[in-house]
Amino acid sequence: MSVRLYPAESVCPVCLKKIKTAITVGNDGFIHMEKACPKHGFFDTLIWEGDVISYLSWGDEDVEGNAPKTAIPAEKGCPHDCGLCTSHQSEGCCVLLELTKRCNLNCPVCFASAGNGTDLPLDEIVRQYDWLMAHGGPYNIQLSGGEPTMRDDLDEIIRLGRERGFTYFQLNTNGLRIAEEENYASRLKEMGVSCVFLQFDGCRDEIYTALRGKELFETKCQAIDACAKADLPVVLVPVIAPDINEDDIGEIIQFALQRHPHVRGVHFQPLSYFGRCEVPARELAEKCCESAQTQWRITIPRMLKKIEEQTNGLLKAYDFHGGGAESPYCSFHAAVRVQSDGSLKILKKRSRSCCCPQPSSEAMNFVSQQWGNEDPDFPETESDVSSLDLFLKQAINDTFTISGMLFQDAWNLDLKRLRRCYICEADSERGMVPFCAYNLTDTNGKALYRK
Amino acid sequence: MPNEKTYYSLEADQHLVCHKCGVHLIKGNAVFEYLDNAFPVELPICPQCGFIYVPEELAMGRVLSVEKVLEDK
Repeated sequence: MSVRLYPAESVCPVCLKKIKTAITVGNDGFIHMEKACPKHGFFDTLIWEGDVISYLSWGDEDVEGNAPKTAIPAEKGCPHDCGLCTSHQSEGCCVLLELTKRCNLNCPVCFASAGNGTDLPLDEIVRQYDWLMAHGGPYNIQLSGGEPTMRDDLDEIIRLGRERGFTYFQLNTNGLRIAEEENYASRLKEMGVSCVFLQFDGCRDEIYTALRGKELFETKCQAIDACAKADLPVVLVPVIAPDINEDDIGEIIQFALQRHPHVRGVHFQPLSYFGRCEVPARELAEKCCESAQTQWRITIPRMLKKIEEQTNGLLKAYDFHGGGAESPYCSFHAAVRVQSDGSLKILKKRSRSCCCPQPSSEAMNFVSQQWGNEDPDFPETESDVSSLDLFLKQAINDTFTISGMLFQDAWNLDLKRLRRCYICEADSERGMVPFCAYNLTDTNGKALYRK
Repeated sequence: MPNEKTYYSLEADQHLVCHKCGVHLIKGNAVFEYLDNAFPVELPICPQCGFIYVPEELAMGRVLSVEKVLEDK
């Protein structure tokens, strides 16, 4: 028998209709989401591998978010009005532009459409930029796909964005072209790419064979070296999959730290079950099947436990905290300062002193400064304040972040979390659609928004 | 009326005047010291009493950011 904690809102993984849901403490002592569809039955999903105290205290500082600057009316109810609607509780921070459906890999776990597809026309990209500027922009732009480096007009795409007032351009890439094409990293730097968000799943080829379909470790190292030579900041982005690279987390962090400061941090993305990621659906759906839940789900406490174990206590679970602009249950984050003698100092959690959520603008600045290595934006002054500027630049440079985001799927979707989502996909028809709504697929792989 | 202390005044031509000494502030070298760190900064200073004027945007911008870094906030 599970114990009910509080009511929540979610969808049926089969028909995606909103259904009666509760957050519960399961027989295993962990936190679950239990929901029942009148047509498709009962679903029990593990959402937190920790006790009730750790679960509730992680969300201690969670408060209501801030409304989008412009919104469409909410009519059908979440998650069926995304665009953003009046029920949404975040202004937005990062927006993905899916520039192409083409890709030079065919990963078994990809959420995006990829393969031999088409490119988003330039005039459509301009329309999306203009729409974003008219609806609360500028946002941090993520050039995504498919594989964005399949296009040869990234310079034009960035120039058109800069002309309209966007300043941060993150390239979400597998790094193949950066590794293989001489001077490509330097050209990206010249084009105005702020940061390379590099798919990097570990330091063993077996991992890449399982997740990406081919051996890629050497290629990833070449891409990182090329970016370092071009002074282009890199964030390593590992997908963490059960039974594949869960035991490689510590090695990934050490690998990244050895390449700091040009590697700015590691951003983990535990596997979610949407898109092309084939789900052990029946196992997940079966009630009381706790072994399947534990096998397939990676939750925040499990990630933090693995990080602590695999870094030999260099990083402790309690060094991490949840997001401020988004729901704390969507992400985890810690920062360390790499000191002049090479030792690490954990930076304490910045506590909010009032009841206000961290504004999306603060999250935007954090991303552009910490990952993009951009100087803080202070007003011009007639006085010589270079000592303060130099110190701040050095402090940003010395900081290394370890973070992660747990994307939601049809099994664990919590509409309260979704309403706080600040990472959106640009959509030509709907405007800005929260990432986890855009990529939501039912058990047959049918998407709610993605075409 | 609250009893507000005024340390300076601003003339019509934007010159800052020390309220105590009645003379124009002039640019000079000042040092912010905090938690064993020193930051030499050029700021308007009273040549007579040494009063230093810190513009609000500097205090709430760069100085606050440095303070947060040093305090690990």
